[in-house]
Amino acid sequence: MTANSTKPHRPAVRLENLDKYYGTFHALRKVNLSVERGERIVVCGPSGSGKSTMIRCINRLEQHNGGKITVLGTELNDDVANIEGIRREVGMVFQHFNLFPHMTVMENCMIAPMIVRKRPRAEAEATARQYLQKVRIPEQAMKFPGQLSGGQQQRVAIARALCMRPQVMLFDEPTSALDPEMISEVLDVMVTLASEGMTMICVTHEMGFARRVADRVIFMDGGEIVEEAPPEEFFTASRNERTRQFLSQVLGH
Amino acid sequence: MEMVVVAPPAPGRLENLKRRFFATPLQALLSLISLAIMAFIVWKLLDWAVFSAVFTTSGGPEACQAAAGACWSVIAARWRIILFGLYPFEEQWRSALACVAVVVMTALSCIPAFWTGRRIALVWGAGTTLYYLLMKGGVLGLLYVGEEAWGGLALTLFIFITTCLIGFPLAICLALLRRSELPWISRTTGIVIDGVRSLPLISILFTFAIVLPFALPQWLVGDKLYRVIFGSALFFSAYQAEIVRGGMQGVPAGQEEAAMALGMSYWQRIGRILLPQAMRNALPATINQFVISFKETSLVVIVGFFEILASGNAAYGTGEWRFAYVEVYAFIAFIYFVFVFSLSRYGAFLERRMAVGER
Repeated sequence: MTANSTKPHRPAVRLENLDKYYGTFHALRKVNLSVERGERIVVCGPSGSGKSTMIRCINRLEQHNGGKITVLGTELNDDVANIEGIRREVGMVFQHFNLFPHMTVMENCMIAPMIVRKRPRAEAEATARQYLQKVRIPEQAMKFPGQLSGGQQQRVAIARALCMRPQVMLFDEPTSALDPEMISEVLDVMVTLASEGMTMICVTHEMGFARRVADRVIFMDGGEIVEEAPPEEFFTASRNERTRQFLSQVLGH
Repeated sequence: MEMVVVAPPAPGRLENLKRRFFATPLQALLSLISLAIMAFIVWKLLDWAVFSAVFTTSGGPEACQAAAGACWSVIAARWRIILFGLYPFEEQWRSALACVAVVVMTALSCIPAFWTGRRIALVWGAGTTLYYLLMKGGVLGLLYVGEEAWGGLALTLFIFITTCLIGFPLAICLALLRRSELPWISRTTGIVIDGVRSLPLISILFTFAIVLPFALPQWLVGDKLYRVIFGSALFFSAYQAEIVRGGMQGVPAGQEEAAMALGMSYWQRIGRILLPQAMRNALPATINQFVISFKETSLVVIVGFFEILASGNAAYGTGEWRFAYVEVYAFIAFIYFVFVFSLSRYGAFLERRMAVGER
């Protein structure tokens, strides 16, 4: 107890008064969010509400125009070394997988640990095998991404991010581009990851997933966080009109 | 009982021929006429090139003029001028070795096993140094031969290889600068590329060979050959830069984002993710550009270099072989064909190899 109180409180990710403009369009309006280590956050909201923009600011795929982003105790600034340092600790999974098509699955998983973390080849290979096992496709290691199904590609993309041994994982609509029958194989992997204590921020419309694993569900609209609540409260006792409207559209049928 | 579905048997070769060329009487007639014309042309060519041709130099030019066919004795008598130009006769073995050196260098760098930074640098460093030492001499007891005396195939190959070696990296730099996020860099690069592309190659070669020495300080001028090579490399790079840029545009933006998200630096993203995919997209146009550049080396004759075509002119132009120009040009065309055709086949091999795992 006393040990805890003397140690400064350091959340995994903290956004303070985050502002982002695309030209004159105000994409994020003074967004505040703090994510603890080991916490699982699901972000939902209508398209254009700023969900993707928000998580893309965390690893500087988008540059914010105002406010402060702190990742693992380090404030994100314009310095390239600072940005790359934060990106090494923050894994990201994209809607369209973005695997490198000119490399095998194995090479996709090995390249960043080798050239970014400077790990020896043998170690990178062992790590890659370990995580391909974890996402349940060790047998596809020597294939090229183009030879895999969408669900398999997305699982490789998760393994590729995990091979960097990140402390935070960002998921940007990881199942939106998948055929319906492939969604569950990807969600299963994400559920496993969540159960192992990974800090996760997931932009997704999979409300079943949110109910199962989220510690908090965040609803965004018009560049603002409209509501944040634990899932049971969020789904059953939402106070906000816009949230209720969105939920009825997502869950309605 | 199980029904077994079998595809109808493919028609035999003879059947196929019949269907394609002899289906109707008219088609059969046309096929026969075409066949006769082709046979006539082939016979005439063979007769000229082989059966009625003169191959030995023993009879001299007179024996040739008496014969009805080709006079290949001109090649036997003058091949050294065609291949080596004005290079001193006694030293021409060096020129031949230098040709072998650059051809071996090119062949080695075409093998995928040599595609690592260190190996390719080693091969190119060794190849060009060997060429330069052999051609120029002045060391190791080799007679000094100035660049103005280099000529023939050796010079053509040297200009082509160095144009590519300098022009290709320059093209990649230009393409990267052109996609810079800083507008003053991308715009300036755009103006340079468009400027160079809007000038004819001849005027660039002329400027670099003749005009530049007046504008540059003495220590920077260098030999005319190297100025011409630089001009030709600049021209090559302006075209190639746009080809590379086109290839880069074909790589989805998500590729670079994924590389960024993994913490890769700018040069790692360019070298490992963007360029390999861009070059695959740009390969057919790139091979095209190489072929064009190889043939454009013949333009250096206007600034006084005797590359293979000019050497060929010299080979028949003086004295007794004046009548045998067709044979000399056929020989030179054959040499061009060997190099350009190998280049095209290599391009096809690369395309097949890179198609592995394509979406």
